[in-house]
Amino acid sequence: MSEPAAAVSTAPPVARTALAFPGPRRIVDGWELTARHATGDLVLADLGPLVKLTVRGPAEGAVRAALGTGFGRTARHDEGALAGALVVGAGPGEWLVLGPAGTGGELLAATRAVVADSGEFASVVDVTHGRALVRLTGAAAPALLAKVCAIDLADRVVPDGSAFRSSVARVVTDVVRDDIRDELDDPAGDGTARTRSYLLHCERSSGQYLADALVDAGTEYGIEVGAPPSAR
Amino acid sequence: MTRRTVGTGDCRLGSRPGEVIDRSRTLEFRWNGAVHRAHPGDTIASALAAAGVRVFSRSYKYHRPRGLLTADILDPGCLLQVGDEPNVRGAHRLAEAGMDVRSQNTWPSLRYDVKAVNQVAGRFLATGFYYKTFIKPERLWPAYERVLRRFVHAGEVPPDGEQLYYDKRYAHPDVLVAGGGPAGMAAAVAAARAGATVMLVEQEHQLGGHLRWGDADDLRVRAELVAAVEAEPGIEVLTDSVVAARYDDNWLAVVQRGLPHVAERLVKARAGTLVVAAGLIERPYVFAGNDLPGVMLSTAVRRLLNLYSVRPGQRAVVVTANPEGDAAATDLRAAGVDVVEVDARHGRTVVRAAGRGGVEAVELSDGSRLDADLLVTATGWTAPTSLLNMSGSNPVYRPDAARFVPDPAATPDTVIAVGGIAGDGTLEELVAHAEAAGREAAARALSLAAAHARIRPTSPGGADAAERAPEPVAPLGLRRHPELFFATPIGGFVDMSEDVSAKDILTAVQEGYDSSELVKRYTTATMGPAQGKLETVNTVALVAHATGSTIAETGATTWRPMYTPVTLGALAGRRFEPVRHSPMQPWHEAHRAAPLVAGQWIRPEHYGDPAAEVRNVRAGVGIIDVTPIGKLDLQGPDVPKLLNLLYVNKWSQLGVGRVRYGVMCADDGVVLDDGVTGRLGEHHYLMSTTSSGAGTVWEWAENWLQTEHPDWRVHITPVTTAFASINVAGPRSRELLARLTDVDLANEAFGYMNVRTGTIAGVADCVLWRIGFTGELSYELHVPASYGLHVWESLMAAGADLGVAPFGVEAQRILRLEKGHLIVGQDTDGLTKAYSAGLAWAVKLDKPDFVGKPELQWQSEHDDHPRLVGLQPLDPTVVPEEASQIISDGGHIVGRITSSRMSPTLGRSICLGQVDAHLADAGTRLTVRLRDGRDTLVEVMAEHAHFDPEGERQRV
Repeated sequence: MSEPAAAVSTAPPVARTALAFPGPRRIVDGWELTARHATGDLVLADLGPLVKLTVRGPAEGAVRAALGTGFGRTARHDEGALAGALVVGAGPGEWLVLGPAGTGGELLAATRAVVADSGEFASVVDVTHGRALVRLTGAAAPALLAKVCAIDLADRVVPDGSAFRSSVARVVTDVVRDDIRDELDDPAGDGTARTRSYLLHCERSSGQYLADALVDAGTEYGIEVGAPPSAR
Repeated sequence: MTRRTVGTGDCRLGSRPGEVIDRSRTLEFRWNGAVHRAHPGDTIASALAAAGVRVFSRSYKYHRPRGLLTADILDPGCLLQVGDEPNVRGAHRLAEAGMDVRSQNTWPSLRYDVKAVNQVAGRFLATGFYYKTFIKPERLWPAYERVLRRFVHAGEVPPDGEQLYYDKRYAHPDVLVAGGGPAGMAAAVAAARAGATVMLVEQEHQLGGHLRWGDADDLRVRAELVAAVEAEPGIEVLTDSVVAARYDDNWLAVVQRGLPHVAERLVKARAGTLVVAAGLIERPYVFAGNDLPGVMLSTAVRRLLNLYSVRPGQRAVVVTANPEGDAAATDLRAAGVDVVEVDARHGRTVVRAAGRGGVEAVELSDGSRLDADLLVTATGWTAPTSLLNMSGSNPVYRPDAARFVPDPAATPDTVIAVGGIAGDGTLEELVAHAEAAGREAAARALSLAAAHARIRPTSPGGADAAERAPEPVAPLGLRRHPELFFATPIGGFVDMSEDVSAKDILTAVQEGYDSSELVKRYTTATMGPAQGKLETVNTVALVAHATGSTIAETGATTWRPMYTPVTLGALAGRRFEPVRHSPMQPWHEAHRAAPLVAGQWIRPEHYGDPAAEVRNVRAGVGIIDVTPIGKLDLQGPDVPKLLNLLYVNKWSQLGVGRVRYGVMCADDGVVLDDGVTGRLGEHHYLMSTTSSGAGTVWEWAENWLQTEHPDWRVHITPVTTAFASINVAGPRSRELLARLTDVDLANEAFGYMNVRTGTIAGVADCVLWRIGFTGELSYELHVPASYGLHVWESLMAAGADLGVAPFGVEAQRILRLEKGHLIVGQDTDGLTKAYSAGLAWAVKLDKPDFVGKPELQWQSEHDDHPRLVGLQPLDPTVVPEEASQIISDGGHIVGRITSSRMSPTLGRSICLGQVDAHLADAGTRLTVRLRDGRDTLVEVMAEHAHFDPEGERQRV
């Protein structure tokens, strides 16, 4: 038996991230996001639409070489097959590849090609829709995180470009330090000025809870929720 | 209530150089209903003392009037109720405008407390009174409890009181300095200058320790040290905070108060080096009448005089055995107080304070009697070594110094003591020692940090400091001090918090409790709010006296965390309880779904009428949010090996596009989880698990892979929430879904137990399984989670003319029970092996190996295990509660109801239950004991399924 598939027109698909903050929303490239703009010194931004891939493979070897980093460190690819991607060494033999929103197909294909070329047993899974991703930016970010995470965030322990997985407000979270170049306030004028910034990445269904916990912890530092200060 | 305004304070002196009050402003608060005034900087006690208040509380057992003894946080006579907050240290807490301060546990008033009759009955409240009295008969215990509660010496926590915000944070200083006196400040500055990050924790409201109430030189040195601390950006200063505990590897619990909008904050600090700079605590002297209001320590007098400009009395006797006592006499004279000094260094001391409600006269050991309203004692010091004890170093008694001192040889390298706790010397010597210790503390911490950096994955490479071996810090000397603990004849109180008298200690020893640990527990001496800091050494001295041994032989009790009483709020901190929501949660909330808490998940239990939801699924089409179903992405050529290992059934022949139900058992054959796994590609599978088992199965699978089969090429990625999962169920589900998908849903193209991928409502990369937990034709849709709400809303819109309606977890449970599908953990428990659960059809003992096979082999050869069976009550209106016992004629338990519901489809009650093997045959009638005590009969059915046992409805 086969019934004719009645053509029912549905609204064009709208993607939603794990986070829904009160207030106005807008649709950007098919994603519904908060329309609030954050201008304060401590900002929590929803980066849910970013492409997120997990890669598994040998901790050392050709896959690691192609991804450009290992456990505990990050690599930003400015050129090559993964241009535009931030690769995070999320665990031993485990990577998280982040790319700009809407590049899912190309980045997935490129990453799979990198893995296939390695000749090693490795796998790639697209978890764009399965994870929550926020960026916490501001000088007070480490003080805020110290209220919800037991890891020492001193420069000496977690410098820019490093990553770890730990409990944040009791949610398993990848914490990635990815400072933002400060173009407006650069006293040395040589592009070295940076603002503290962390990516926090967790399983999707806990994302709203995690964001709420960060806002609660950040109230004393004047945290604002809104559009990211940087489009990265 | 009488409201009267009391003057600003007859006992307030003129301005003094070290005072901490702001005389330019006043604030008002209430004390037992009367309005009082204070200056900002006043403690509650100093403001009241300025107004001439002498009595602050009634004592624990005898309800004797008590005044100020130490005038600091340890003061046993000054625990007060402030608003909703009990047991506030009145001599430490700063007065605030509008505070409602009351004395605790006095009735009808502080002045006329009827429980003071306990003083008359004192001989009945002797040592071990509670142990000896409230033991038998047992049936009277509830009455005893009510009586004892009336006499509990503590404030009240109203159950409807304000919910305060208790905060928590972590800290990782290289060096944590406990104590902000001169030594602590000097050590902190030296450590910071050596490159360490420092946390400096001070219990008082200001840095400076005893320098604050000292002379002009002391104040100058204090100002210099405070300025040096403030000039170091690497020092974080926490005042009104206490290091409450030290655990292994310098895991330190710091309780911080005085923050805006936060009641208390627990700082969990991991320090490289702990510098203990706790100073010295002045020890009370034990003599008859030593608890009368007006008996004070020399430090209390100097605090009142020099910090708060309060005159503590008019005519003072100062019993002094040290320079600090002499200084108190000098300070009192300067404040216009008549002073008689008694030099206790030469054998003359006090034996009794006399008076009613306060000191009126002092009797000395030479028989003389002096009129006085203030008796000041300066008879010795106690080193508060708790943090050192918690580090594994027990203090050693030094009779020449009349105090316990730390044993540096037994102290770990990560802990260093400085200041008075470590030894004596001039201020310059103490500061120099602390500076050396601070430098060494920094060097040790940075060496440790370098060792950690070498192995940390986040390090970009290269150690940032050299590792080095610890170097000793030259020790301080000890000043001679006479041993003064108690007067003879022995009298007075040794523990004023607990109302333990000196004679109670002697009695306890006579009764055989002849060690300090036993005396402590029998008498409760040292177990009050001061936690022994005022009482332990005197108690030990009295035990030594009574047993005829020395103090060193007797030894102190063990100091354990906490150093000081800590509120439950501080220990609880912020409540972090993660909750999980599906992408459709906004829709559920908007449609008034009743929330069901399922582990961390919040799920719709129903949308108003679960029975109607069941009927709609059986007759038309319903959709349910099943996102919490566990999903694992499995990739690699060895996935079939893993599946064959974990599941009891066979997986080698599963074709691409096919789905199979599987059961997992643990090593002991007990059912662990179940679910379906589909093959999406040559080396690509999607496994589903129960909602509650998602985490367990992932860990289970990883555990087998990583420990037993690291050679297998399998990667597991949890993708539970990468997909929003929706089950579309009911005879019209195909009709609905066909309107939204490009997948051919025809039975011959997409049959039962198959999987397809395709587009739904414009969303690509969706996974569709055709399976049937509800027993109806149904499709389980796994949609990229970001589009879950879109697809859900599209289904609701596209199916409006079909009568599509959502159904919740309750309807799903009814549907599956009608169909006889078991739920792992509900119809099975921690003892239910596969054959007991009726899963014999799934167990393939001809497989070479799988987890649980030996146990299941054994079970298959024995027929004595319980059976899961379908049951129907003979009275179709009776629904036996789940977990009701099934009993045999002899009253023996032979099974239980595991699931039960009223079936809307059948119009009768239906159950699943586990029964003993010999009672599992179809047609057997069994008795179920209901919760209300009645019995009802149920009949064993031939099948688990009560409805459509042939499964015809789901294969159409």
